[in-house]
Amino acid sequence: MGRIFDRIDSRFGIREPHKRFLRRSIPETIGYAYCMGGMAFTCFLILACTGLLLSLYYIPSEKEAFNSVVMITNEVPLGWLIRSLHKWAATLFIVFILLHTLRVIVHRAYRPPRELNWLAGSLSLIIAMASGFTGYLLPWDQKAYWATEVGTSMMGTIPLAGKYLMYMLRGGLDLGGPTLIRFYSLHILYLPFAMAVILWAHFHMVKRQGIARPL
Amino acid sequence: MKRREFLRDAVRGFFIALAAFFAAVLWYIYPSRMQEKKVRYFFLMDEADLPRKGVRKVDFSYDLGERRISSRVYLAASGKGITIFSPVCTHLGCMVNWDSNRREFLCPCHGGRYAMDGTVLGGPPPRPLTELPWKVEQEKVYVGIAV
Repeated sequence: MGRIFDRIDSRFGIREPHKRFLRRSIPETIGYAYCMGGMAFTCFLILACTGLLLSLYYIPSEKEAFNSVVMITNEVPLGWLIRSLHKWAATLFIVFILLHTLRVIVHRAYRPPRELNWLAGSLSLIIAMASGFTGYLLPWDQKAYWATEVGTSMMGTIPLAGKYLMYMLRGGLDLGGPTLIRFYSLHILYLPFAMAVILWAHFHMVKRQGIARPL
Repeated sequence: MKRREFLRDAVRGFFIALAAFFAAVLWYIYPSRMQEKKVRYFFLMDEADLPRKGVRKVDFSYDLGERRISSRVYLAASGKGITIFSPVCTHLGCMVNWDSNRREFLCPCHGGRYAMDGTVLGGPPPRPLTELPWKVEQEKVYVGIAV
């Protein structure tokens, strides 16, 4: 590779340990169906980038949240684009995860030794859905409010502990400012971090176990 | 004390501390301010505007501290008098609508159905629509809302 990269790598040493991964052989019969996971990951990267940009303008407070979203959409240069990209990437993220899941089911790629990777994938779907649910509240409009009212009420139907879990999620008896901040924190800190860890494990196992050969 | 025993106790102590930490985390994230709600009365409409017959949707708003809250109630007038219902479905909290053709309250979320007197006709709601207390003072109607 280039001279600058060589100089850096002679000290950093990132090329050698990655050779086995980057130069590994993959089955010849691989096709576009195998791209779904990568597409989902691309969506995740778009979400991370646009999310970082949105967080510069979004204000997670009861009074300011809706106005700041309106401002992002109407006043911030290209704000509408960033917000739309975030929204559509989020939708496509779930779509591609499900298509990827379908591919794995059809090829029975979940069988040993890949059971643990199936679990990691399922967990990332759950985290993706949780991100979608928490992100849906952030515009703080009527739709967001009532969707979250219904969603958190569902948690209240869990036997015994349900009510307490619901209050914990809402940060109070009802939806309000505390709920918004909790969801914001989950949406931009806890869930993306958890997702990054799970995806690292997911990709690591793909690297270790190789791509499942088609039936 | 042998080294092996010390290490065993140290590991045990670490896990006990970890459990205590998670208990503390639960205590930390459980909401601390959860005061009981009290019913307060807010102006809804003039007494002269009360419906004589049928169901009417009334949008109104009230001030709570610094916030202005928009809300909605349903007034159901029959021979027995007027009942005021909260539009919040008792299933999961969606807003029900009055369907004047079927003469039922319908919940758009999961298909809950209520009669004009609030009783459940079908779907998942566990109990009838919530009746709200109301009173008339000096020809003005006030509705009681738990805040």
